[in-house]
Formats: sequence, C-alpha cells, structure tokens
Amino acid sequence: MRSCGLIVGLLLCVTYSLAQYRPENGTPPTELKKIALTKVDVYVRPGEKLEQVTVLIEGQKIVRIGTFIPVPKEYLEIEREGYTVVPAFIETHSSAGTEKAKSTYQGYLPQLESSKNGDYYWNEAIHPEIRAVESLNSGDSRFDELKKLGFGFVTPIQNDGLVQGTAPLIALGAKKPSDFVLRPDISSHFSFNKGVSQQTYPSSLMGSIALMRQALYDLAFFKYHKDAPLGKLSMEPWLTSDPLPTFFKVNDKWDILRAQKIAQEFNRSFIYITRGDEYAIADQLKTSNPRLVVPLNFPKPFDLKDPYTAKEIPLEELKHWELAPYNFIFLKNQGLRVALSSEGSTSTSLWGSIRSLISHGAKVEDVLDALTMAPASFLGVDSLVGSLEPGKLASFGLYGKDPFLYESEMYEMWSLGIPENVKPLISNTLGRFNLILKNQRFEMTLVGDPKKPTVSLLELKDIWDAKIKIYKKDTVKTSVNFSNTEQDVTLQFTLKENQQVHPYVLRGKIVGNGSVWEGDLIYPDGSWGQWSAIRKAKATDTSGKINLDNSPLPKCWFPNMAYGFEVLPSAVNTVFENVTIWTNTEAGILQDGFVVVQDGLISYVGTNRPNYPPNAHIINGKGLHLTSGIIDEHSHIAISRGVNEGGQSISAEVSIGDVVFPEDISIYRQLAGGVTAAQLLHGSANAIGGQSALVKLKWGVTPEAMKIDQAPGFIKCALGENVKQSNWGERNVIRFPQTRMGVEQVFYDAFYRAKEYKKQWEAVASFGANCPPESLPRKDLELEVMAEILDSKRFITCHSYVQSEVNMLMKVADSMRFRVNTFTHILEGYKVADKMKNHGVGGSTFADWWAYKFEVNDAIPYNAALMHQQGVTVAINSDDAEMGRRLNQEAAKTIKYGGLSEIEAWKLVTLNPAKLLHLEHRMGSVSLGKDADLVLWSDNPLSILAKVKLTMVDGIVYYSEEKNSELAQRNQQEKMRLMVKMSENSSHTEAKRSFFPKKKKFFHCDTLGEEGTTLENMH
Amino acid sequence: MKTIYYLLISLSLSLTTQGQRILIANGYLHPVEGQEITSSLIEIENGKIIGIKNALSESYNLKDWDTVIDATNQHVYPGFVAANSTLGLTEIDAIRATHDFEEVGVFNAHVRAQVAYNVESKVLETVKSNGVLLVQTTPRGGAISGNSSIMTAAGWNWEDATVLRDDGMHVNWPDASWHNNLKGEDNKAELSYLEEIRQLQAFFNLAQVYKEEAPDALDLRLEAMKACFEGKKRTYFHANSVRQLSDILTFCANIPLKFPVIVGGNDAYLLGQRLVDSKIPIMIERIHRLPDHDDDPIDQPFRLPALLANMGVSFCLQNAGGMEAMNTRNLPFLAGTAQAYGLSEQEALRSITLSPCEIMGIDQQFGSLEIGKSATLFVSKGPALDMKSNQVTCILIRGKIESVRNFQEDLFLKYQKKYAKAKN
Repeated sequence: MRSCGLIVGLLLCVTYSLAQYRPENGTPPTELKKIALTKVDVYVRPGEKLEQVTVLIEGQKIVRIGTFIPVPKEYLEIEREGYTVVPAFIETHSSAGTEKAKSTYQGYLPQLESSKNGDYYWNEAIHPEIRAVESLNSGDSRFDELKKLGFGFVTPIQNDGLVQGTAPLIALGAKKPSDFVLRPDISSHFSFNKGVSQQTYPSSLMGSIALMRQALYDLAFFKYHKDAPLGKLSMEPWLTSDPLPTFFKVNDKWDILRAQKIAQEFNRSFIYITRGDEYAIADQLKTSNPRLVVPLNFPKPFDLKDPYTAKEIPLEELKHWELAPYNFIFLKNQGLRVALSSEGSTSTSLWGSIRSLISHGAKVEDVLDALTMAPASFLGVDSLVGSLEPGKLASFGLYGKDPFLYESEMYEMWSLGIPENVKPLISNTLGRFNLILKNQRFEMTLVGDPKKPTVSLLELKDIWDAKIKIYKKDTVKTSVNFSNTEQDVTLQFTLKENQQVHPYVLRGKIVGNGSVWEGDLIYPDGSWGQWSAIRKAKATDTSGKINLDNSPLPKCWFPNMAYGFEVLPSAVNTVFENVTIWTNTEAGILQDGFVVVQDGLISYVGTNRPNYPPNAHIINGKGLHLTSGIIDEHSHIAISRGVNEGGQSISAEVSIGDVVFPEDISIYRQLAGGVTAAQLLHGSANAIGGQSALVKLKWGVTPEAMKIDQAPGFIKCALGENVKQSNWGERNVIRFPQTRMGVEQVFYDAFYRAKEYKKQWEAVASFGANCPPESLPRKDLELEVMAEILDSKRFITCHSYVQSEVNMLMKVADSMRFRVNTFTHILEGYKVADKMKNHGVGGSTFADWWAYKFEVNDAIPYNAALMHQQGVTVAINSDDAEMGRRLNQEAAKTIKYGGLSEIEAWKLVTLNPAKLLHLEHRMGSVSLGKDADLVLWSDNPLSILAKVKLTMVDGIVYYSEEKNSELAQRNQQEKMRLMVKMSENSSHTEAKRSFFPKKKKFFHCDTLGEEGTTLENMH
Repeated sequence: MKTIYYLLISLSLSLTTQGQRILIANGYLHPVEGQEITSSLIEIENGKIIGIKNALSESYNLKDWDTVIDATNQHVYPGFVAANSTLGLTEIDAIRATHDFEEVGVFNAHVRAQVAYNVESKVLETVKSNGVLLVQTTPRGGAISGNSSIMTAAGWNWEDATVLRDDGMHVNWPDASWHNNLKGEDNKAELSYLEEIRQLQAFFNLAQVYKEEAPDALDLRLEAMKACFEGKKRTYFHANSVRQLSDILTFCANIPLKFPVIVGGNDAYLLGQRLVDSKIPIMIERIHRLPDHDDDPIDQPFRLPALLANMGVSFCLQNAGGMEAMNTRNLPFLAGTAQAYGLSEQEALRSITLSPCEIMGIDQQFGSLEIGKSATLFVSKGPALDMKSNQVTCILIRGKIESVRNFQEDLFLKYQKKYAKAKN
C-alpha cells in the first residue's frame, strides 16, 4: 500500500511479534514494521551518496537500499522526493541524562581519606564501579536536543573524576526501555580532572597523572590478588569493564601527549576527547596516530566594542579563534581518524559549524565519517550503526536538501525505523506551472527558497488584433503573494482589467509530490469556483548553497602566541669573534677571543683565530661579553596546572616531568635574561614533594623536546613552615606533620618503607623476566622513587631555611647512607656551612630575600658568600618568574654582600648550578665540546647595565635583540589583522563573547591547587 | 676634638651633637642638580650643607672641622628616597602581628602611618645600609588608605624621624578589570567599577563642601581631606591600567585638588599629551616586574621611565610590590635598570632622589646636594646604582652620622669569625 501523506503519530499495523518477553497490559501496542522510503537521496556511508533511491526498513533495521527496488506489497511506502537522508550521528562526549556530580564530604577540616562507605578504592577520584546506565534519566531534555541535531546514538556519562566508570550506548528516540539502552556498558572514561572529590589528594595535574598510573598498576595487581585491600567494590567491576574502549577527556593538546605516555606504559590505547587546539601539534600527532573526538563548538568572536578590553585580549586567544575552525582540517591533513562532537554546541550553531568546516575545505565524506563511522568504530559498533547499509539500525535524519552543501533543515528524524516529525514537511513547489481558472490561463513560476518562494504569474491572453484580424498572444506579468504550510497553499494577486483592479484569493492543497495543486477561489465578481495548477517543469532548490573559501589555511606559530616563531629556528654554525669570553675555566676571562659553534656544540674557544666552519654565521663581539647560559637551579615556570601535590605529606610519585608546559611566556622572557636551562621543581607544600624536570629553555618546541636528555633524576623535598602548613590558615591543622619533630619522622617512615619495598623486589629479582606475574609484588610508584634515592640514583633538592632542620635531614641521609644533593633557599646555610661541606651537600639560595616568613628572620644576603667560602658549591636561583630574568644581577649582589670576585660571582648562576644538577660535563662553562648554550651580553654581565644581545641553546638562537623587536612589531600587526578580521567576519547577529581579563598567575613554592597565584610572598 | 674617620674602619659610633661641623673630603660628588665634582669638599654645619667646593682647587684646614670624613676614591650621593612604601609598618609578611599597614574600612582618610612607623625595624636598617635614607611610609587598603608621612630611615622615635607629617592622602582607584568579576559575569565588573567611582566622587564632594562650609560637627575623615584642597597635602591616586589613569585625569580635572599624583602608572605612556598637559606626576611602580600581558614588549616595565622622560612627564621610581619592605633595599638598582633601558645616569639618579622629593614637596630641603639643603647623604665605595659597586661606608641623616651596619652584617661577621677560629 502507499501512503502519500504524513504518517506522523499514526503507526500502522503491518506485523507484530507474537512473542512476549514481558506481560502486557492488554493487547500489545501496534507497531509499524515494514517501511519503504522512496525517492530520497541517501548518504549511505561516508563517500557514497545515492540519489533517488528506495530504502527498505524492517523493524529497526535497514534491509535493502538501491535505485530500482520495487516496493514489496507488504511495505508501507513513504515518498520523500527531494529530501536527503543522512545517517544518524553518534555523540561520544555527552553527559545527557546524568546528574551533576556532587561530593559527599561536608566537613570543615581537610578531607585526607575517602568518605565513601564500603570497600572502594582509597581515592574518591577513582570510581570505575560507576555505571552511568544505572542512574540515567531517559527523560532528560538533553537527549531530545541531541536528536534534533541529527544524533541517533549517544554514550552519556557523568563527567567526573579520573577513572569515571562506564557509559552505555543509548539509542535516541527509542520508544521502549529495551530499545533505549543498546549496550549497558560500551565505553569506559578517563580524564585528568579530579572532579568533585574533596579528598586533598590529588591537588594537581601531576598528582592526577600519578594517581591514575598507580590505580592502573593496582588493577594489574588485583587481577592476580583478589584479596588485596585495594577496594573490591571498585576493582571487580573495573576488571570487567577494562576491555572496553576508553575515552580520555583532556583539557588541552598537551594532555594528549601526557595521556599517550600512560597509554604506552600500560600498553593501552585511548580515544581522546579534545579541546580543539590540536592543530598546533598535528604533525607530531601523526606519528602516534591517536583517535580523537574534537569539538564542533568553535570559539565565538570577542566583543571588541571597548578599546580597554580589546587591549587586554591576548594574541593567543585571537589566534585560536582564527584557527579553531580549521582544527579538523589540520588533523585530517595528517591522516588522523577524527570524530566530531556537538558538546557545547546549540541547535543553531552546530550545523553552522559543520558547514563552515566544509566551506573551509573539509571533505564532506570526512565530516560525515567524523560524525558517524569514526565514533562507531571507536566504540566498536560500526557493524551496527554509523551508516545506512543493510543490516544496520535505521536511524537517520531527513533533510530538506543536502545539509552539508546547503543551508538546510531537518524535517524528520528516524529512530530505529520509526519516523518522527521535527518540522512540517514542505513539498518542493518550485518550477513552472499552468494555473487554470475558469476562463483564464496563467503561467506561474516559483523560484528561490521552497519555504518562501518568489511567485510570479504571466497571464496568457489572446488579444484580437483588428488590423490583421487574428488573435495575438499577449502576456501580463503579476506578482503573487504566496504562502504554503505543509500541504496547503494560498495565492493572492490582483489583475488589472479596464482600469479596474480585480483581487483574486486562491486556496488549495498540494496533491502528491507537488506537481498538482487544486482548490477553490472567489472570483472578483463574487462567484465561487475551482482552480488547479499543473507543473510543467520542475526546478531544483539551489538556495543557500555554501560558499567554498579558498583562502589558505591560517598559520600556526610555535608556540601559537605572542613571540611565537613562524618557523622554528634551527642550529647554525656560528663564530663569535673579538669577544670577551667568560670561560668559567682556568682560562678565566679571555679578551678578544673566538668561540666556534658547530652542530650545537662548542668546537673552539681561544684567542687565536680558528678555522671557520663552512657557511658559518659570524658575529662580531667587539665590546661585547660572551658567557655560558644561566642555569636556574630553582624555577617554577613552564608548568601546567599545579606546582604542588600537597594532598599528602609524601608524594614522591608525582613528576613535574609529566606537566611541562612549553607555552609559558616566561620561557621567552627568561631567554631574554640569558637563562638557557632550569630545574623545574615541585613546590614545598609537603615533606617529600615530587620529581623535577630538567629542561633547556627552547621556545616553541614540545615538552619532551625541552627536557634535557639523559639528565639525572631529581626530587624536591621540603622542611619547615610550608611542610608544617604554618601559614595555611586555621583549617590546615590535621595533616601530619605540624612540627619540625614530625618532619623528621615523615622522612624515616618513607625511607624505611622504601627499604622494605626494595627487599620485596629483590626477592623476585632472580626470576628476571620469567617471574610469573602473579608472583610479582605490588608496584608502588611512591616507594619506587624513594628507593631510587636510597640507591643514589635520584638526588634530593631540599627546600630548607633554618639550621636545625638542615642538620636533621643530613643526619637522616647519613643514617640511610646517601647524600642530600642540594639544599635550596638554605637561608641559614651560613650557620652550618661547615657541616654542609662535610656532608657534601650544595646550597642554592636567594641573593637577598628575607622577611617573608618567620623562618627567614635570620636570613642574610651574605649567606652565599659564607657558604662559598666554606667550600660549599653554591648557586643563586630565582624561584620567581620575574627574578629569573635578572639572575645576572642577583649573582652580582654576592660581590656587594660578602666580597666574592666577579668570576666567582658569575659561576653562582652558571657553572655551580650545572654542578648541582650533575650537568657540568655538558653545561656551565664556555669550553670545548660543551653544549653551545651561550649568551652574548652588551656589557659585563654582572653590571646593572648589561643587556642580552643574543641567547643560543644547543647552537640555536632562540632570542636576539633584533629578532625580538621584529617579533614585537609583528605581534602587533597580527593582532590588528585578527581584530579587523573578527569585526568583519562576525555578523551583527552572531553571538559574541565578552573578554574577561584575568590576572596572570604564577607558581611559587607553596602555591596550591591547579591555579597559580597572584601572591608574591610565597617561597 | 678633631676626629677623622677613615671609612674602611667601620662607623658604629654615633655622634649626637647637632652643632657639629663635618667635612666630607675628596669624594666624587653626585649632586643630582648641577655639575658632578670628581673630588669635592662638602661642608656641613647644623645638619645643613653650607658649602660645596672642588678639592682640586680648594684646600681645607683640619682644625676648622669637628669631623672630617675622607671619601677619597668614593662617591657621595644624596640619600635615596623610598616613595610609597610600607617600610616601617611591617616586619614579617607571613605574620599578621607584625602588620601595621592596612586598616579595616573603606574610606580611611583619617588613618595616619606616621604613628605606626617603627624606627627600630630590622627591615629598615637593612634598607638604610644601601643608601635609602628617606621613606614615605604609606598605608594600604580600602578605597582611601589614609595618610603617608615622610620619615628618615633612622631615629629615636617616630617624632624624631619625621620629615613631613601627613604629606599625602592615598586613594586606591577602583579596578574594572577583574576583582569584582571572579565569576566572569558580564557587566558586573563594569557596573561596580562605575559605582565605586561614584562613591569616591561623592566622598570628595563631601570633603569639598566640608572645607568650604563651617561644619556643625567635626568629621575626622573629612577634616583629614581638607589639606588636599589647600595644597598642604598631596593626593595620591594608585592605579595602573590605561582606563583607570584616563578616568583619574578626568576626575582631577573636575575636583580642585592642588597636587594630584599617580602612583603606579604602568600604562601611563599610553595617555600621551593629555597626561603631559595635566602636569600630574607619576610614581612608577617597581620596574623589576613582569609585563602585564604576554603580548607586551618583554622589557616594557624597564623602559617605562625612559618613555615618560621622553614625553616630558615628571616621574620618580618607587618599589611597591611583593615583599616590598625588605625589597626596598634594591631601590637603587631599579634606577640602575632604568638607566640600562634609556635614562641617562643623571636622570636615573634623579628618579630616586630629587624627583620623588619634588613630587612629595620636600625638594627645598632634600633630594640633592646643594648649599642650604639637609645633609642627608651617604658615601659609597663605587657607583651606587649598580649592585656590583654599591657599598655604603658612611651615612649622614640631617647631618647626623648613622651606622651603616645592620644585624645581617653582624651575623655575617659572627659566623665568619666562627669559621676563621675553626681554621686556626
């Protein structure tokens, strides 16, 4: 049978299953089972679009699709000529149907332990046991919103915590609960956000990373040790859900690289739900080929109406605004498999974003793949959903036109074979018609948008020509007021006859597919009549075609912000000639010397003119000073989301190396201050903090490329007021230790446990790789690191102030037979310099800071000189993004306070920190074979007048005075270009966002949490 | 009795008689105003400079002087001036009990820093040792913080140390950019900014009326404001962003304040001729700071003094910021950096001596080494704007010799001795 009209709301009986799986109240409801959807254009799968085809649907599934398929008798035919069918999209990033997570803890004091009742994992941010399906609200309006956007499937989960649990696969528009949940557990979800847990640990990104890793090791251990006290109620379900595909929600592009390290460590594979800024690292992602879910929600243009605010908008944000809509294209150009997500989009913005992708150059098949097959394959259900091939679920959207190429709307959403009307269907009425009234004939033309066509009438008249005595054709053109709703049309027009105006009002119905209209009218003379219109020629709707934008891809800088490079600089063979060289060797200061840099290394230092390497860049250093680069032994720049894991007193498992952040402007500014390398230290909020990252200040590279290869391992420890939480307010009085007495015991406890741990592993060491996994002890990331300290494979840099605590830690180390490597701050080091010398520990201190805490009351600026004079290896460090760029001045203060020579003073920021970091074989002096980390100064570098002319790291010039002024100018031009573009491109109707300037935040020793601080007296 | 101090010997002795005649001989004179003299004679009597001569052309008679200070191969500077500082009002940042710089309340026009100034501050003595001899001790907080006073860096008590009592009223201009907008709510910051300005305006209007009309009853706050209109007190507006500064210029054009001053002024260079025409001077915020925006020129703060100098704006340097009390000893080096980034050596020196004195209204007695001015000066082994060579060997405050030592140097010597003994 054939249905010409709408079937919305009416389900016709074709067949129904007699088998009952559950009792029914009365006769089971009637269901529509077999449908033939005809004359539609169909995107069967990405890359395959068929026109004018028939789709046979049986039950929930598609059974056939093709051009010349006769509609079998038992099928209800639904004709949708001119409409385009697009497979239902799949959303893998959604919290639809879930409630906002809430913490259970209500206490006043910090929550150190889990507040969950039951044998769960010890940390509330790890809850693999949560199944989103169990508390899903199917009536949530967000499901409906997704459906109206063209989505048919979604994997919702409450986005909370590091290990979040599992999401179900939901079929949108399903009428029965049994159809609504297609798979109760389809995917598991991770993130680097702790979520609502109030537990103090973790309090930083690096803590989150460490906790996730520990939990994964615990899972592996639990597999063989079901009685281990690791939280059965968490671990058992996790073992079950572990094989599911895992989606990893990241906060930015660098998180992808971080999560990939975890993937590698545990031989896992993640699908990354991203922020949309991956274009900046697209080429690096190519090698690891990750699967990505990227947002379709592009940043809105800023409201630029206020010059004060416009001035505040960082270039970085403007660049991102321009590049974000190209993110998908950047990634596809690298051949990555990418899914798109509607998260954050609205019904008005989503299709705008999709079409803007295509107008910017994305291929339709790639975009469709990203909305359908890519997420289906990520979820492992690509044989069930994602395209409209036979055997797959019949969920799709029906659009007025090809929605990828035209401004077009969805009229019906078909869910599991059942259509639902979204918008009244409008027949395509475009074309040329014969309009026939009682005695009149017209030619009627409809052009433009089928919803609001422009209609004109030509009255065809035969006029009697008295001269030649024949009827002549004559035409009179009239425009028509036309409206159509669903199947109804009304036409109003006036005709002029004999100087009189005659109004006509016609109303009628569209019959069938729009070729025939018929209805009634009142003639100008008041008589009632009928009219009809028959289409002679059909026209296709070509309105709203998107414009392809052929402009080249916008340029991304390295890093993509102010002072970023358009092209990363590379190493150039260089000769410095006629320059004053501060060698830091026995040679002392050489006048009129030569330094040759080849392949990133220093290949000559001396006063005789050497052979210049071919194509060398020659720099005349007349009147200038050349030194090795400054090394900042204590720095907190270039760190993402938290410098302290203060959640526990011992957090040796965390590592700054996991959270190096290469887009901190401080890197560039410090290059301009002559700094070439730094130890990025954990803060001092707890006794045993976290591992350091030793980096070179390379501007524009990735975190891994900043790290010094084969650098020795370091760990930050801390003593005194910060560790005791002395200045943290009245709430923080329960974490052990609260006194210097307790601090000692924290160290003993950790080291004794580490010794035990070592024994456990030594016991199985003889088995080597053959040790059966079930016999291996539990891997403990914290004790592993503590054991490295005991084995002198990792070195301590310890935050310290007063002499008692300094002495204490040396005694602890003595008893454990290792050496404390460095005391940092060490402002009372001058009181125990002899003991420090005996122990063999170095001191890295401030030049003149004091008076910020009680424990620095006896701090004196002569400290560096006194320690140095006792034979302690002394460095001057910054611990401060501002002072970090003036370390040469800080070194000079030791001449004033304590009378060091200039050569000695200079070593405090170069050779001595290199020694403290065990890097003196590569850095710290201008000598043959060392890394070409060099700084050219305008003056004696210890002079207040000294300015950096050029800074080179590994033979690569990352900063020079000339380049800097060039970049500063270019920044401004780029900013203006983007602001003009933003004003031009954003229409008046487009929503704009206001810019809210934030105070720039910085990390210091005792900055807590993932946000920086604006406070400055924290060290 | 005739005494000659050779400056390599430490000067811990303090002479108390004001009638002393002191000669500083043979030092390189940095007068700030006028020609430098390579070898000078500075004649001091009753705390004042009574003569400045060239030692190469003039000689002196030891007998004419109670004290002769030999400054051969050394440099003589007027005392450096720490404008806008909490020095003397605080000791240890983390310990609330030591904080005396921020009172409760919004309009604290009546609050006075002078009486809380701690002459025995340990921090103060370490600052003095670097040549900072005058301090504008300044309260913080609120919309109006209160009154600063100009003090010497040493004295028996706050009365003794006072140079100018209640020299200025400190107003914190509202900040539209962020503090009321933590949640990022549109318009909220804007509205509260305008409202705070209205309140400030209303307060100043009240004060103006109070000054004109004989008041029924004494109002401590408004009483303290009077002097701002009479020219006896500066009005210091603390602000940095271009919008704030622009609004302050408008505010000052509408209210007859005699001596408005801007404190901070990070964006002042953007105001152009308007600022020049207003003749409002700027006390530039600590230039050893980071640029406000990632996009700014990386040396923007360093260059600000030279930018303002080229525009013809009068300015001085000050050191407010993190850990500012203890950090004030680095004030000389702020001037050094300003020199590295465009000021002449003379201009750099002036920016922490005569310029702040002019702005604060004490330039008739302080800020330069000229006949008739206060003998508030110091001798340094080398150029004092460079940390490498700033080595103060002798300090005079209003003609009185003060110790250059401080407890930190004492601790240094104590432990140096300990280690020396251990070696022997």
